[in-house]
Amino acid sequence: MLDAGRHPKINLLAYSEVEQVSGEVGAFQAKVRKKARYVNEDLCTGCGACVEKCPSTVEDEFNVGLGQRKAIYKYFPQGIPSTHCIDAEHCRQLGQGKKCGVCAKVCQAGAVDYEQQDQLVDLEVGAIVLATGYDVFDPSVIPEYGFDRIDNVVTALEFERLLSASGPTGGHLDRPSELALRAEIAELDKDLNKLNRQIEKLEEKHGKKTSDFIGEFQAGKAGEDGDFERWAALAEKAAAVAEKLAPMKKREAAAHTAKKLAFIQCVGSRDFRFNRFCSSYCCMHSVKEAMIAHEHDNETTSSIFCMDLRAVGRGFEEYKLRGGRSANIQYVRGRVAEITEDSHHNPIVWYESTTTRKVEHETFDMVVLATACVPSSSTPKLAELIGLELDENGFFKTYPLVPLDTTRPGVFVCGCAQGPMDIPESVAQASSAAARAAEVVAPVPKAAAGGGE
Amino acid sequence: MSNDVMVLGGGIAGIQASLDLAEMGIQVHLVEKLPCIGGKMAQLDKTFPTNDCAI
Repeated sequence: MLDAGRHPKINLLAYSEVEQVSGEVGAFQAKVRKKARYVNEDLCTGCGACVEKCPSTVEDEFNVGLGQRKAIYKYFPQGIPSTHCIDAEHCRQLGQGKKCGVCAKVCQAGAVDYEQQDQLVDLEVGAIVLATGYDVFDPSVIPEYGFDRIDNVVTALEFERLLSASGPTGGHLDRPSELALRAEIAELDKDLNKLNRQIEKLEEKHGKKTSDFIGEFQAGKAGEDGDFERWAALAEKAAAVAEKLAPMKKREAAAHTAKKLAFIQCVGSRDFRFNRFCSSYCCMHSVKEAMIAHEHDNETTSSIFCMDLRAVGRGFEEYKLRGGRSANIQYVRGRVAEITEDSHHNPIVWYESTTTRKVEHETFDMVVLATACVPSSSTPKLAELIGLELDENGFFKTYPLVPLDTTRPGVFVCGCAQGPMDIPESVAQASSAAARAAEVVAPVPKAAAGGGE
Repeated sequence: MSNDVMVLGGGIAGIQASLDLAEMGIQVHLVEKLPCIGGKMAQLDKTFPTNDCAI
């Protein structure tokens, strides 16, 4: 990443989108919209002082909605270019027309620029490489897995963020239900503190404790004062909030990290209702996540529910076996029919075990859905823009004998834009696509290639 | 005629393709729609089968 940001031959256009492509192989003209960041890339030092002071909080896309970020933000800490960006929609100053300007005030480099506009960049290129990647399948369309209803059913990518030391939980396997509980407690605590401060002021003003006052007030002996009605109402409210908080705090104190995990394979893949294809990397992805979770806490046990576990790749079969031997992973052959939830937010997995030939169920701390790799939502638009055909699954169409060539000469595709694949394969394809593009723009003279006359 | 290449997408595939082309001395324009390059791989904690760090 860093190398790509620094290389003198790479013109990095981040936060940009292609709007128009015309011309043909050897001479394409492209129009790229460089979206306004409202932060001057050349001046921003990436210190983050603006983030600390920004008053607007938004769901963090990088952490798949599990954490929060500010309206001025860096997409992720190690991100390249190492510069911040304002999300105009959620910014008080830009999106909501309120007076704010805090980030501009605290920025010592003077990098914040609310007047910045989108820029249109015209490019003239000989070849195009598509590496637009994929989207994660949205499991909420499978009602029986309850992704929408059950807090502790997460996608593999969400689980990845929970495992990450730089993620929203700092690498602790806290369950989403507990994260929600903690957020609710924090909110109520804030309300309670506010009420208590108002009550304290009244106590000081009248020189008596609330408990004494309430007794007098209820007995009608408190006398007449404009404050008393409000005081009694505040005290009642504070008591109600405290009463609500007590059992929640008790539940939080009893909470533990997720130690018993279930992984469900082929969620949205190899399922004729959604995608017929195999997403190829999810089997190994689940094994990896189970192994890392076990590394974090060696009491962790995992069950991987699959039709079959596809460990096709160098070192993959050994990796799978190692997981079973040393990371408490149990492979269960059976398709999961339904996930329900008990009163402690524990998901219950119902499945038909093909080994015992019975319908069984088991309760887990957390369930991870190995969601399918589906074409990126931008793919159809991009295909239309460049004039490319898509295959039957919605990925860019290629041919078996020229697997990186799209249906248009001079346009090549690599990685998951072409179909589901793992990282090593994406990297190998990327190098091949680079070579194919180089053949177009920098052909070696025939004599040098040994084919000269 | 132009000798430049445009790479769309700054995930692991786009980064690798850009670096390879740049190393061949070809001018690359790497276009990424998000504020930072890195893509999905940057969101991963570790990678299989070696459990190496993803970033």
